[in-house]
Amino acid sequence: MKRLLATSAVLAATLSASAAFAECGDIQMAEFNWASGELLANVDKFILEAGYGCNVELIVGGTTAIFAGMNEKGQPQIAGEQWVNALRDLLDPAMEEGRLHAVNKAPILGLGEGWWIPEYTAKAHPELKTALDFIEHPELFPDSEDPSKGAFIGCPAGWGCQHVNNSLFRAFDMEAKGWKLIDPGSAAGLDGSIAKANERQENWLGYYWSPTSIIGKYNMQSVPFGVEFAGSENWDSCIVVEDCPDPKPTSWVKSEVFTIVTDDFMKNGGEINDYLAARVYPGDVMGSMLVYMADEQAAGEDAAIEFLTKYEDVWTTWVSEEVAAKVKGAL
Amino acid sequence: MMGLKDVLPDVMTEFPEMGRADIRDFKKGIDGAFKDFVREYGELIEGFFYPLKIFLSWFERLLVATPWPLMIIIFAVLVWLGARSWVIVVGTILASLLIGYLGMWEDMMKTLALISVSTFVCIAVGIPIGILMSKSDRMQSIIVPILDFMQTIPAFVYLIPVMMLLGIGKAPGLIAVCIYAMPPVIRLTDLGIRLVDKDVLEAADAFGASPSQKMFRVQLPLALPNLFAGVNQTIMMALAMVVVASLIGAQGLGSNVLKAVNNQYLTLGIMNGSAIVAIAIVFDRVSQKFGKRLQKHSETVHG
Repeated sequence: MKRLLATSAVLAATLSASAAFAECGDIQMAEFNWASGELLANVDKFILEAGYGCNVELIVGGTTAIFAGMNEKGQPQIAGEQWVNALRDLLDPAMEEGRLHAVNKAPILGLGEGWWIPEYTAKAHPELKTALDFIEHPELFPDSEDPSKGAFIGCPAGWGCQHVNNSLFRAFDMEAKGWKLIDPGSAAGLDGSIAKANERQENWLGYYWSPTSIIGKYNMQSVPFGVEFAGSENWDSCIVVEDCPDPKPTSWVKSEVFTIVTDDFMKNGGEINDYLAARVYPGDVMGSMLVYMADEQAAGEDAAIEFLTKYEDVWTTWVSEEVAAKVKGAL
Repeated sequence: MMGLKDVLPDVMTEFPEMGRADIRDFKKGIDGAFKDFVREYGELIEGFFYPLKIFLSWFERLLVATPWPLMIIIFAVLVWLGARSWVIVVGTILASLLIGYLGMWEDMMKTLALISVSTFVCIAVGIPIGILMSKSDRMQSIIVPILDFMQTIPAFVYLIPVMMLLGIGKAPGLIAVCIYAMPPVIRLTDLGIRLVDKDVLEAADAFGASPSQKMFRVQLPLALPNLFAGVNQTIMMALAMVVVASLIGAQGLGSNVLKAVNNQYLTLGIMNGSAIVAIAIVFDRVSQKFGKRLQKHSETVHG
């Protein structure tokens, strides 16, 4: 009897669910495995489910894994915060051939990749202003395994930015100047090394990107490179390539983040695509959300609710009044 | 249609949770305490592991710098001394040649350095703990749950404190490997000593052996086959941890596997994964044969 009850309850739930979501249907959306990616995906999920009646499944992954899935299998259908710089070789052809489309070319304002130092390092050495100055002083950043060398914390192996940091490391001739390029192994390793340095007030120089919780939390300072951007020719055909023979010193290319969708979704997504195009986070709002997530240890889902409650003036401009009312009702 | 949820009172369907704010404060409190601990004692703890870090770095550089033909000869000699089997010696040589030919020599050396030093540390710390455990039932009842904990808690959980204390690189990687790989050698040392025949111990007593003579001349030698099974298990588990250790910056075959996972590089993954398997098989066969030889030896002496 109990079993019968349970079965019919499940059946009833399934039936009512499918009726409610008939108009939008199932959507598979990427949830990138970093904080802003989590927030973006969960806000989208909430608004699409509450406001548009979709049934959103989040697929967790990193840049290259998600891209490969979308490009080759058409799954997931939406990637909210796709960092495109390191993927351009793959993304450009995919967009030209019409497999993928960028529905929003700047979903988050004021973002960028580059080299960072802790606030106290900047304060203790006001005479060092650019990366060119810092790389003359490896002794300020001793490597724990070989203190005679300076440690530059690069990008985890397998990430798009790994080749960029390798190339810049060679372009700025850092090995000869007494530096070692450290592979932190993973996102957790990279974050852990920043956290450890900050808790112990040790100097740290390495790669990161903004807006991120850890940059906001420890108030890490971006280091200007001290050289101009040396042209996209140098960047695209050398800096981002593995073991390019002759990289020239350059500042980091301006970062671009797209919201990309699959061709199928571009054709059939309808008003969802309009929503994705209108959804733009001001940089400071994203920054403060990320610090909130770090301080409160909030997962993407909780952070999405915090964002929707706290920044109503931001997100209500993305959707129609009718949709906004539905979303508010679900909060 | 009524569901079970509609019939039951609320307290039965919703778990009476601690409350979001309280849970958050609870988590933040512990985190804060740990951060204070890191600020206070981080340097001290890092200093404690410093010799180990220097030794590991030195050993890795030594392995990487040794010319490969010499290294292969050293492998062959070590394998022969351990296993006394031509099949395994030839297999080892072929496997190392193939791994080198496929461009993984340096990574294999880094992995070997990490595994050998980890195993050494596990044995050096594990066997005394095992002996202690075998001597007292109370000790055993305290240590066994700790070992269970070490073997089952997901590695990612202890990577966080290890990283906060020691940063990234080889040394924290080694600690992570040892937390997971040490329990078997402790357990089997304890088991081996406890399984020594009571009659033999009585005989030792009858000859007036002191407790330390009994331990080192009778119990430990008789426990050696079991103890070696433990060492074998420890090596295998250490190898299983190389990918996890590479998450916090320990270089080697593991970091290539990680790279392959991040990029769907099927071949890279299979190549480096197979190299890890090859190392595992060699270590396994050699330590098993060595363990068996120890057993035979003891049988001829006592039988």
